[in-house]
Amino acid sequence: MALVSNILTQVFITLISVVGVYVLTGLTGMFSLGQAAFMAIGSYASGLLVVKGGMALAPAIVLAVLMTTLVGYLVGYPVVRLRRDYISLVTLGFGEAIAALLNRMTSLTGGASGFTGIPRRTTLLLAAVSAVAAIILVAFFKTSKYGRQCIALRGDELAAKAMGINVTRVKMTAFLLSVALTAYSGCLYAFYMSYVDPSGFGWKKSADWVIMVFFGGVNSLTGSTLGAFILSALPQVLRGLQNYRYVIYAVLVLLIINFKPSGLLGEWELTPRNLARTARSLGRKFGTRKETH
Amino acid sequence: MALLEVKNIYKSFGGVKAIQDFSLEADAGQILGIIGPNGAGKTTIFNVISGVYPADQGTVILNGQDITKMEQYRITRLGMGRTFQNIRLFKGLTVQENVMCAFDPKSQYKILGGLLPTPRRRSEEKRGREQCMKYLEVVGMADYADERPENLSYGMQRRVEIARALMCEPKVLLLDEPAAGLNPTEVSELTELIQRISKEIGFGILLIEHRLELVMSISHLIHVQNFGKTIAVGTPAQVQHDPQVIEAYLGKEE
Repeated sequence: MALVSNILTQVFITLISVVGVYVLTGLTGMFSLGQAAFMAIGSYASGLLVVKGGMALAPAIVLAVLMTTLVGYLVGYPVVRLRRDYISLVTLGFGEAIAALLNRMTSLTGGASGFTGIPRRTTLLLAAVSAVAAIILVAFFKTSKYGRQCIALRGDELAAKAMGINVTRVKMTAFLLSVALTAYSGCLYAFYMSYVDPSGFGWKKSADWVIMVFFGGVNSLTGSTLGAFILSALPQVLRGLQNYRYVIYAVLVLLIINFKPSGLLGEWELTPRNLARTARSLGRKFGTRKETH
Repeated sequence: MALLEVKNIYKSFGGVKAIQDFSLEADAGQILGIIGPNGAGKTTIFNVISGVYPADQGTVILNGQDITKMEQYRITRLGMGRTFQNIRLFKGLTVQENVMCAFDPKSQYKILGGLLPTPRRRSEEKRGREQCMKYLEVVGMADYADERPENLSYGMQRRVEIARALMCEPKVLLLDEPAAGLNPTEVSELTELIQRISKEIGFGILLIEHRLELVMSISHLIHVQNFGKTIAVGTPAQVQHDPQVIEAYLGKEE
């Protein structure tokens, strides 16, 4: 039971970050390879505020998220003005720089040996409620004017500008929302692991999140969520198979990319309306089958 | 003062002089045609006017404001709408959502409404949807509001693009080859539509077109371009008999 709860908590924490990546990559079409650095900043900032600053948990988290978002603004200022292919490069550089910085600032962060002694405060319930809240917020975001403008500029920036859309600003809004979500996920992570070290926040983690989004469906929040759920739980569930679990992970990802490039769910979203439609079409299929018998 | 004044604009790409000394004035209720062979610089004129890239020289004035160096989205918000030669509707959005995108920059709610269904958001979204349906009805596409544009015929997609441009509430509407790829029936429907919105909404319309029958039948004034230069300006009847125009289109008489 403890193992299941352990896995689920980590899955929910990852889910919050991946939902953030969905806003950035899925809705807006920007690829960040430095996203995990925002998780790092969130977790170190909140941990330090509580352990060394003596703050209570809730205000520390709020402050940490705000601070990370401010960093996100500074990074985002050039990033949202860049051509798409350069965005990944700049964010990659930024992410690695943050990891290096955390390694170097030994007196504050504990360096490569990690930052220990963070109280264990994140429960399965907190992680679950947070993940659900994050998904709901992003679902509302997607159907708002912001989400529409993101999807519009993802497809055609020139046409978006010609419709009066302030492309830079909309991109920045999406970027900051994604940063804030990732930072929050970092806070929960720190207070769950009670120990953080810089090695876990490199570009590989950022790339992992992007893979999860594509696996489930880059154009679907439901798909991205499902992708995050499956792929983040898989290595834990398959722990018994040791190194083979990564082979299975890789094969699964390759299969999806080859046979369903739009991801598991494509563009399908879980809404009452779509659910009814799917049920109806399934019913029809079932009905015709009956007739043929 | 005219609604849109384009004064002596120039634009070059490397050694190619795409526009040389182009001027134009458009008023509300007017339909202005710009014609010319391929490569005459017609779309470049539109791109300069709508702010895709700035003119090398010259000025563009919309409703009394200098918009020559202004960012594209700001020009749109000041009252410019346009369609594209190769239809550029947004993928991943329905017909209605496509049109909504032109309302969204004007929608009055902030990020809190972006994350939660606040009363403000709900009322603004409703206002947007109503305006959307109004413009979709103008172009006769209201029945397809929930359809994806890629499932519609070319002629229907054109109409959606025009509805989206109307949603920008333009004072000047730029139509870049709206009849390209349409069949004869669709062309006559489009002709009727352009004349109707010109009368009902009363903005200035600039029209680039290859189909001469369309431009000739609805334009009040026609600019003929060739190799970046204006070779004739006049009423349809005038330009049709201009020897330089005939030469550009049909070649010189031996």
